[in-house]
Amino acid sequence: MSLKVDGVIKRYKVRAKKSTISALNGVSLEVKRGETLGIVGESGCGKSTLARLIVGLEPPTEGTLTWNEEVLGKSVRNSLKSHHSKIQLVFQDPYSSLNPRQTIGSCVAEVIKTHQLRAVDQVDSRVTELLSVVGIPMDMKNRFPHQLSGGQRQRVAIARALAAEPDLLVLDEPVSALDVSVRADVMNLLVDLKERFSLTYIFISHDLSMVRHISDEIAVMYLGRIVELGSWSEVLNSPRHPYTRALIDSIPDHTKIQGIDFENVLEGEVPDPANLPNGCAFHLRCPIAKPNCRIEVPALKVAKASHLVACPEVLK
Amino acid sequence: MNKLLEISNLSVVIAEDERVLVNDVSFAIEPGEAVGVVGESGSGKTLSALSILGLLARGLKIGSGEVKFQGDNLIQASDETLRKIRGNEIAMIYQDPMTALNPVMKLGDQLLEVLNSHENSIAKPREHVLEGLAAVGIPDPKRAFESYPHEFSGGMRQRVMIAMSLLLSPKLLIADEPTTALDVTIQRQILALVAKERRRRNMSMLWITHDLGVVANLVDRVIVMYAGRIVEVGTVKEIFNSPKHPYTVGLLASLPAADSSKDKLASIPGVPPKPWQVGDSCAFSPRCWKSEENCRSKRPELSDRSASAVACFFPEGSSR
Repeated sequence: MSLKVDGVIKRYKVRAKKSTISALNGVSLEVKRGETLGIVGESGCGKSTLARLIVGLEPPTEGTLTWNEEVLGKSVRNSLKSHHSKIQLVFQDPYSSLNPRQTIGSCVAEVIKTHQLRAVDQVDSRVTELLSVVGIPMDMKNRFPHQLSGGQRQRVAIARALAAEPDLLVLDEPVSALDVSVRADVMNLLVDLKERFSLTYIFISHDLSMVRHISDEIAVMYLGRIVELGSWSEVLNSPRHPYTRALIDSIPDHTKIQGIDFENVLEGEVPDPANLPNGCAFHLRCPIAKPNCRIEVPALKVAKASHLVACPEVLK
Repeated sequence: MNKLLEISNLSVVIAEDERVLVNDVSFAIEPGEAVGVVGESGSGKTLSALSILGLLARGLKIGSGEVKFQGDNLIQASDETLRKIRGNEIAMIYQDPMTALNPVMKLGDQLLEVLNSHENSIAKPREHVLEGLAAVGIPDPKRAFESYPHEFSGGMRQRVMIAMSLLLSPKLLIADEPTTALDVTIQRQILALVAKERRRRNMSMLWITHDLGVVANLVDRVIVMYAGRIVEVGTVKEIFNSPKHPYTVGLLASLPAADSSKDKLASIPGVPPKPWQVGDSCAFSPRCWKSEENCRSKRPELSDRSASAVACFFPEGSSR
């Protein structure tokens, strides 16, 4: 059992500017059952677009996504009710993903009823069970989202996702909006839940330290492509792509007090996805770019068993 | 030692019902020193900073205390005096440059406005602004001068904000999470830029953030706030290598370390209380693994008013 993403391209037309934004430019990856794939990258790299395609909120422009050999997102409306209940999404901001005028109990119950997962008289006990699984006390069932703390709201969002009894959870920046002292709690909960319900995770974040903590494999994205893919220890301990290196160097590290390092600061900014540069999308900022990088788009190539890198310069 | 800024016993309250949001905050900044204020949402870190310049939102007011800048108490200062100091001697940069900049005014005009509203001896304002923009790494300052904020990325807008804040060479720069909304590689560029300018100008800095990683590499001294009060003060080395307050200890332990295996993250159970709900107890005691009877009936005061202090009855490393 696995999720396969094969050559996926997603373009959005911007009518006002009569241009096209290329959010994903050919992404292929595979997540095996029970594993956690971490996806890191900065704004505009396509990580959230990929999440939306995986859960079937939108169809890809080109390419295919399959879950256990079943093609996802062919017709969005039907799939949302059938096998898409097996894939659930948790968003960054639990306040805007929960209905403010619905009690958290009825919000979780709604999912169970929609997918007809329990007999009507058992819905209530199932809701209690789900809330206790994520650490929400029973007596909070009738509260509204605004009466909960940020961490509790995110727990409810997770309970709601679990209510559909999914195999795969796509977590899009699930702890980024939370306070530092609460983050660790929610991360621990996610790790526990994965084991308990043998879930598969796709964990999307801009925060490498969180991705490092939870992932088996890591994909680094830049402007709609995967530039490096491999086991977490390969990618983070011996990064090959110059962008991955810069990303790792950029994480402010509280364990090393040494002042800001003024060397090796990655210059420039991410180019406009509506106006992609030719060749390697990273060449404008790359410290080791060669003339050929401006012409040819580098493919993901094997650097080592289970470690792929899209940079011909570091593979020489 | 001459203090540049000295805050004593500052409290901020909600005007309507006197509920306390910031309680008895005291600290000082010396000339050239960079101080970081770390805390979670609601800890009072931003309100403390806004109080310095009299920028509290309507509905909030200073309950008590003093803010002395170069010897003058800013809390009793007239609006006119404060206007002379804001953007001139004390400048501020904010988290979101898009809302801090005027969206319908050309950047050049916004920067010139700073020079026009303060007495100064700058002979060629336009040239001074262009130099300022170039110094913060704006690629084409002349074009930027004629542009509007929306034409720039978040990182570039923050650079413009920094250029604006530095135009009159302030003695103190207050930064309220200016890199939180930015991508990590851009954050690094901005941090390097600020650190360079600070060193070049020997400017004092007050850096507010929730990100311990950022302050670890940027400031000299760290103030940790919790539920409206300072719970620990120390040099960067003291705070990160030998934290004393259980909250600081817990906060550091909850961050995944670079070289750690995939152990469970140490977490702090519960959530911070509202500052006005605390009463005469240690605000952290309901979440603290060390708390005893005493912690719930009496409030620990900051151990002393020197550079390093902790507000805890049972600090780490104490014999007990």
